[in-house]
Amino acid sequence: MAYGRTRNRKIFLIFLVPAIAVLFLTTIYPMIYAGYLSFRSYDLAKPFVPRVFVGWANYREILTSSEFMHTLIVTFKLMVITLSVQLVLGVGIGVLTAQRLPGMALVRTLLLIPMMISPVIVGLIWLFLYFPELGYLNYFLSLVSISAVPWITSTTWAIWAIAIADIWQWTPFVMMGTAAAIHSLSPEPYEAAMIDGNSRWQIFWHVTIPQIKPVLISLMFLRAIDAFKLYDIIFVLTKGGPGDATEVLSMFIYRQSFTFWRMGVGAAASFVSLAIVVVLITFFFKSLNRSQERI
Amino acid sequence: MSAIILRNLVKRYEADMAVHDINLNVEAGEFVVLLGPSGCGKTTTLRMVAGLEDVSEGEIYIGGELANDLAPKDRGIAMVFQNYALYPHMTVRQNMEFALRPLRLDRAEVNRRITETAEILGLDEYLARRPSQLSGGQRQRVAMGRAMVRTPEVFLFDEPLSNLDAKLRTKVRWEIGYLHRRLGMTTLYVTHDQTEAMTLADKIVIMRQGRIEQVGTPEEVFVRPRNTFVATFIGTPAMNLVPAVSADANLHAKDFSLPMPQKFRNHVPEGLEVLIGIRPSNINLADSGPANVFAASVRGIEYLGTDALLDLRVGSEELVAEIPAILRPEVDAQIHVSFDMQSLQLFDAKTGQSLESI
Amino acid sequence: MLKPATSEKLLCTVLIAIALAVFLVPIFIVAVSSVKPTPIMFQKPPSFVFEPTADHYINLFTARPFAKFIWNSLLVACGSTAFSLTFGTLAAYAISRIRHRRIKDLAFWILSMRMFPPIAVIVPYYILFKTAGILDTPLALIIVYSTVNIPLTTWLMKGFFDEVPAALEEAAAVDGHGLLATFFWITLPLVAPGLAVSAVFCFIFSWNEFIFALMLTGSEAQTATVAVMSFWSSDAVQWGRIMAGSFIIVIPGVVFVLTCQRWLVRGLTMGSVR
Repeated sequence: MAYGRTRNRKIFLIFLVPAIAVLFLTTIYPMIYAGYLSFRSYDLAKPFVPRVFVGWANYREILTSSEFMHTLIVTFKLMVITLSVQLVLGVGIGVLTAQRLPGMALVRTLLLIPMMISPVIVGLIWLFLYFPELGYLNYFLSLVSISAVPWITSTTWAIWAIAIADIWQWTPFVMMGTAAAIHSLSPEPYEAAMIDGNSRWQIFWHVTIPQIKPVLISLMFLRAIDAFKLYDIIFVLTKGGPGDATEVLSMFIYRQSFTFWRMGVGAAASFVSLAIVVVLITFFFKSLNRSQERI
Repeated sequence: MSAIILRNLVKRYEADMAVHDINLNVEAGEFVVLLGPSGCGKTTTLRMVAGLEDVSEGEIYIGGELANDLAPKDRGIAMVFQNYALYPHMTVRQNMEFALRPLRLDRAEVNRRITETAEILGLDEYLARRPSQLSGGQRQRVAMGRAMVRTPEVFLFDEPLSNLDAKLRTKVRWEIGYLHRRLGMTTLYVTHDQTEAMTLADKIVIMRQGRIEQVGTPEEVFVRPRNTFVATFIGTPAMNLVPAVSADANLHAKDFSLPMPQKFRNHVPEGLEVLIGIRPSNINLADSGPANVFAASVRGIEYLGTDALLDLRVGSEELVAEIPAILRPEVDAQIHVSFDMQSLQLFDAKTGQSLESI
Repeated sequence: MLKPATSEKLLCTVLIAIALAVFLVPIFIVAVSSVKPTPIMFQKPPSFVFEPTADHYINLFTARPFAKFIWNSLLVACGSTAFSLTFGTLAAYAISRIRHRRIKDLAFWILSMRMFPPIAVIVPYYILFKTAGILDTPLALIIVYSTVNIPLTTWLMKGFFDEVPAALEEAAAVDGHGLLATFFWITLPLVAPGLAVSAVFCFIFSWNEFIFALMLTGSEAQTATVAVMSFWSSDAVQWGRIMAGSFIIVIPGVVFVLTCQRWLVRGLTMGSVR
């Protein structure tokens, strides 16, 4: 509406204020508070030690501790595993189900269900399947002569157990994005490529993929951002263990804050996590801008 | 009924001038058409009158009242939009009711007006339908009805026929003309279609690049175009323009000469470079021999039914002629033509301005 | 698009069948296990022919006040939906209509608010709510969930508002209506599908959420997800009840997918795909 007169502008501002105020109160304020905590010694386990300003001590502590570095490595390892598998599987299933065939719309719909399930329930479902001795998964594997895997009790397998649950829940996301992106493409390049006599594989690789690449990049950033929120599944399956084999960043923050009651250290770790996410968000917005310009 | 006055109206978008210094009076009850190619500023002008665009400079008076800072709702106007802008979630009746709501009329009056308007426009049967259940022509009529029920002082139309097919367009054009004669509302109408302008307007305002080129009745703009832009914009096929030089009471084109028509003789100076404007319909087939008859070759023919267009060469000049189809000569034939000297136009070649009675 | 050959078609069908099996069988297992008698719960090979039992569901509602926890979940989900939908929609309308070169930055800022890891702000919330005396109340969760739901609604609704033709609002303005009347009578009805989808997204997120509910509620305002998790205690895992509770929690999401899948894409990809 071009008749943006002063009166209308005032109304628009009134419309904006509540949302911004709420977000400020519920996000910016807690972040500032967390920032404040991160510079203090705030140890609930030692109630009589004064909560004093300690400068960068908390940051220095976590950034030099091998435990924290291990945490970062686990986080990124999990991110790389889940993202790459989700990308390959999601694009594959997305391309398959994007075909305009009868029943395909229903297939796409059904495949979306895992995404809508509470992550904690996803954790419980997979815990049921992985459960030592009892779980069905090893039984299914034995049917194809694969020997029992100690899913959540082994330090090597636990990270894969978590990855599989996450992949199960979020591959549909990539699939859905891929199918939708393919549907938004114009048919002309395909017709041209077919007339030129290209094979289906060539067309997929040289026509489809380059066109949906911006969308895929955006989706991957969204998944990467979500990787730092991944918590529920780990909480249910391994609680970061065995040992610290699956202790991701969010689990580290939880343990520092609520197991050891070292709020200052937890807050400092939170800020490191926020910083990484801010970088990812910036990249996401750049890619979003690009993919929207394209469409 | 009230008039619209635009005084030194300017619309600027950052650095771009969309409308330059427009001055226009619309008399009460008058049907004024803003005509011009796309991007000429006609729609922007209309939207400023409606209050949908802010005015950068100048004044708009509606009914004698300064309207610059009035919200659209306070201007006593109604508007028919290009895509009709019918509220898709409301029936035809609800569309009209919603337009009446700000007037706070009583129930009986609302119903009376809707019934009356629906009757005039032949919409009675469709009052319970939604826009999606109507044809293009019916939607167009609902859009007019929604404007009419409010009995506004001023009617604004923004290219209302551009979404209709050719046949329907003619029909609705007749209807709009009929309604205007019957209801006599002050109307400002934007279009790029000269046929609409010629058939509907009391007064045509021809615009180009944000400026008014000419204001006049349909006859005036056709017969006495003020410059070459208006001359070539109005009339299909476009007027032929032949470069020439005035000398010895004659007009010397490259390959032929004409006597200077009487009405220009006194004020067109010697040696002036001019453009001779000849409408295709003013070129006639002639027998060879008499003065001012020229040999021409026929390069091509377009048969249009009643008439035919000839692509002619007179010497090296390209001319388009419109002749009765039964006289149609062969392609490549050598023929003779004469010009209707009464209707010749002269323009200054440098400025493009008409040389008629300065 | 391309017409596949018959052999390729067969391969496609097989692959799609495998995908469906992988993604749906775990949910099927939950449904079956929730009515499977405990003694045969882990029988191998898994039996699918048995006398279904309602014991787990009965236990769920009698041994613990599970009905109350579901009520809490509903209360929080509906409250947060109403709260976020109102504020988010208003903000989205303003963002969609204001012509200003920085408005896009504001939209991105709002969107970014939902992307931060919740764990990073739990401690401040805990302290804040404790001070305000609303720890362990539905209100606390309603406020917290708005950090995700307001940005989501704003972003989704902005897309819907952008698609309302400007001419409709202009027509209403010329017809003599002010901005508010135009917004309520013309624009809002036209974005009704968007409101419905945003509402469902807000509801599902709040219904599914776990960490905040775990950390910020106790026995009073505990939600269903936290309650189900609590059956997973170290001494005896009550799988029957967990499966029954899980199945109840899964239902709204499944219903949503089956009814609104057309709009899901837009909500989940944050406008990367239209």
